[in-house]
Amino acid sequence: MSPIDYAVFLIAAFATISGFYIQGQEYISSMVKGQLVQSSIIALISFILAYYEHSIDLLILGILIAFLRGFLITYFLDKRVPGRMTYVYESNVNVASLLLIDLAFIVVGIFIIYSIVFTSADLVTKFGPSSILVFPLSLFFQGLFLIGSRRSTFSQIIGYIEEENSLVLFALFLVPVPIIIEASVFLDVLALVVISSILVIEKFRHYPMEELRG
Amino acid sequence: MDPIPLIIIILPGLANIFYRVNIKLAGAVSASLTVALSLFLYTQLPLTGLFYIDRITWVFLVMVSSVYLLSTLYSWEYVNSIRNRGISQNNYYLLLNFFTASMFFSLVMNNYGFMWVGIEATTISSALLLVTEKSDVSLEATWRYIILVSAGVTFAFISVILIYYHFGTLDVYTILHSGGTASVVIKIAVAVALVGFGTKVGVFPVHTWLPDAHSEAPSPVSAMFSGVLLPVALYVLYRIYEISPFPQLYTWFAVISIAAASLFLAYQRKYKRMFAYSTMENMNLALFGFALGGAGVIGALLLLVSHSFGKAGAFYSSGNILKSSEKRDIAQIKGIWKGMPYTSSSLLLSSLAVTGTPPFGTFVGEFIILYAAVVTHAFLQFGIVLFFLMAAFISVNYNITGMIFRGSSDLKEPGKTMPIISLISSIIPLIIGVVIIGGFFNVLV
Amino acid sequence: MLVYTLIRTLTQYFFVVLMAPLFAGIIANLKAKVESRKGPSIFQPYYDIFKYMKKQVLIPKGSGLIFKYAPFILFGIYSLIALIVPIVIPEPIFFTASADFLGGAILFSLAAFVKIAAAFDSRSNFTALGAVRALSFNFLSEATLITVFFAVSLITNTNNPYTTNSFLASHFIQNISLEHIFATIAFFMLFLYETGKIPLESSGLAELGMIDEGMSYEYSGKLLSLSKWSGYMKQYILGAIFLNVFFIPWGLQSSFPGFLLDIPVMFLKWLLLIAIVVIIETTLAKMRLFRIQDYLATSFTFSILFLIFSVVIA
Repeated sequence: MSPIDYAVFLIAAFATISGFYIQGQEYISSMVKGQLVQSSIIALISFILAYYEHSIDLLILGILIAFLRGFLITYFLDKRVPGRMTYVYESNVNVASLLLIDLAFIVVGIFIIYSIVFTSADLVTKFGPSSILVFPLSLFFQGLFLIGSRRSTFSQIIGYIEEENSLVLFALFLVPVPIIIEASVFLDVLALVVISSILVIEKFRHYPMEELRG
Repeated sequence: MDPIPLIIIILPGLANIFYRVNIKLAGAVSASLTVALSLFLYTQLPLTGLFYIDRITWVFLVMVSSVYLLSTLYSWEYVNSIRNRGISQNNYYLLLNFFTASMFFSLVMNNYGFMWVGIEATTISSALLLVTEKSDVSLEATWRYIILVSAGVTFAFISVILIYYHFGTLDVYTILHSGGTASVVIKIAVAVALVGFGTKVGVFPVHTWLPDAHSEAPSPVSAMFSGVLLPVALYVLYRIYEISPFPQLYTWFAVISIAAASLFLAYQRKYKRMFAYSTMENMNLALFGFALGGAGVIGALLLLVSHSFGKAGAFYSSGNILKSSEKRDIAQIKGIWKGMPYTSSSLLLSSLAVTGTPPFGTFVGEFIILYAAVVTHAFLQFGIVLFFLMAAFISVNYNITGMIFRGSSDLKEPGKTMPIISLISSIIPLIIGVVIIGGFFNVLV
Repeated sequence: MLVYTLIRTLTQYFFVVLMAPLFAGIIANLKAKVESRKGPSIFQPYYDIFKYMKKQVLIPKGSGLIFKYAPFILFGIYSLIALIVPIVIPEPIFFTASADFLGGAILFSLAAFVKIAAAFDSRSNFTALGAVRALSFNFLSEATLITVFFAVSLITNTNNPYTTNSFLASHFIQNISLEHIFATIAFFMLFLYETGKIPLESSGLAELGMIDEGMSYEYSGKLLSLSKWSGYMKQYILGAIFLNVFFIPWGLQSSFPGFLLDIPVMFLKWLLLIAIVVIIETTLAKMRLFRIQDYLATSFTFSILFLIFSVVIA
């Protein structure tokens, strides 16, 4: 593995760590900043790949990621998080146990799924061995776990954004999807975040309801 | 590039231009035009290039546009009389048009990536429709719908990426006519797509958003969900399945989902949720048919078309009942045969339709699917499906006949056009079934 | 050459035993200077140890045997660990073969267990407070200690700290491999916890923050001096492992008499570590007690996550 491969491994590992960071947060603004870091990391990887492949498309992709995902989504979410409202702080978040459950979840998610499923597929990735795919996969399951473990709407939105980020990373490592489709996906996610942020004003805590049971 | 599919996609969007003026009428006009254009498109099949439309797509197109027309007409009176509105009436029609436009988009595009984008777009545009009748419960249901469906459909993008990795292109026509492949990557993609798009179709265990969304949405929107949205997702799933069929996985998941739907159906207390589970059951039956291949595909198509109209009729009738009685529980509705003749007949007809009673079209479809199951020696699945279909038949019709005939009440028809539309919608499966069975007899005799 | 090995052994052992209090003294002095105080002299720990030796031993009434003999046992355990790991000499000496990395980690656990048992055995409320706190955090720290050692051993596929040290010193690129970097971070976080630094534990006169120091509150006389001495040795050993195996594995000589150069090299490396520790101690505030679990869970996550990744990736 060349030094660039090592460097990309390290950067991708930081994406996973940012997923853990978001998991352990209680304040919504920190979570939003965490996902900003994540989007920046992915944009950075896209720029590195653009330099390697000498492809303008990937450069545009990186700029799109940084703008649509990093900047716009953070702007929309930040607008909806007022300074002192109570729903920006989630009580009953036990960081230690959440981190440990997250870890266990990911061990199951990656170790088993990757070893059984992907190693038989013989994939060729852009940077180094195909095992770099564990990072986007782990981020994906972290996003799912964030949705499942939290009760506030914001956290679930950020979990969904984490999932989509992991897919962008997955596509970058494997084969970058055509720009048109990628751009449509970004706009889709942006629209979803906007609509959810309209909804979050009304409903910010979720708990089991009698009428919706069964 | 052929203009007709493009016009079909744009038409609902064009109706939105009349947002201030009279969007209701514009919506109805555009709906009728799309029905006409879809029927006309049959002469131009098959289409490739930017769009990919073959006979199967055409069936879905006609189905989508017809239910769109019916729902738009039904919404005129329904949405008018909602008291605590979450979104304004014009916004409702605006979103409804965008919803339909995104479904047309998913159907006709010749690119898997755009199909995925279209399915996500349907989630976005239909999300706010669920808060038309604003209450705490409907807000919660809306949120569950958004987050569960989005999180699930995101899985499907992994399969799109893997397809692109293996084939180097996302062109549906090219991939389907490339002559099959035995690659592990594609098998993974097809399996993951089951989880991904299966969330939208209602495959167990990712179906949990289905009953909540259907029971809290206003009735025309529920009809669109059941009759149109789920079949479109099933269409996209089928297109991915066609690349490299994986019958064991798909048929078993379909059978398990049918069993789960029947079990959940048995103890439902609210009629809209009951119909939602019946939708899940029918969708998975169609998935079963698609997975079996051959005659199963024809059976699935028949089932889907008849079921769309039948389920739309069922939801329209439920909407009528909800409007006049304001109650959601089955036990609280008694004996509506007296004051609501249209609604009770349409309710009875549609519930018979969705449970697969002869001579409705759904029965013909189910019969062909089960025949295909026997032909491909899937005897165990055949037995399980048959048993649970019968169980669902009993549960649904017991509840419905109780609602209609038990005792008597003095509920009246809520308005003029709504009952008629629901009756029209419920009769269509009957017509389809009779025509097909008659056609069989003509051929045989 | 048995004589050389003997000389090396004695050098390493006496360096650890005699120099450990000096580093503790330097930390206290430097911290005080940063806080604009004059601070105690750097030899103060030595004066303290000898002062306690001369004083009378008082034992609480209900205490048992473990309380009386625990400091001796602790001193012995830490002496053994001092011979197992490459903290001065980068080559195996006498007694090195008694345990490898995992054995070293378990010896640490044994020492912690003996200390906690002695704290409970003293039948005093105050030491029980410290012991309970230590127990409720140790489950994460012990797990981290063991997995961190595994993580760093995976690079050489052996459990031998000496081969790991020489391998890392000769192959520079392995030092920026993923598992090494995060194992280093995890071990550093663990080091701060085990040696009782701010932001985890505040020593001195503030009892509310004590975890480790609270456990030796009932000792007096030579028992206290031995207990403090073993605390200094523990700090030295953990810091030296961090420096020699994780952070800066270069610079150690093994030739004769070149190994005498190892003493100033270790001294310089320790000064770097002391500088980092002083910066951390004087800039951060102490965490609430229940937050320590989050901190330790974070370090545990780091070590295990990258352990798993390195297995999957390799």
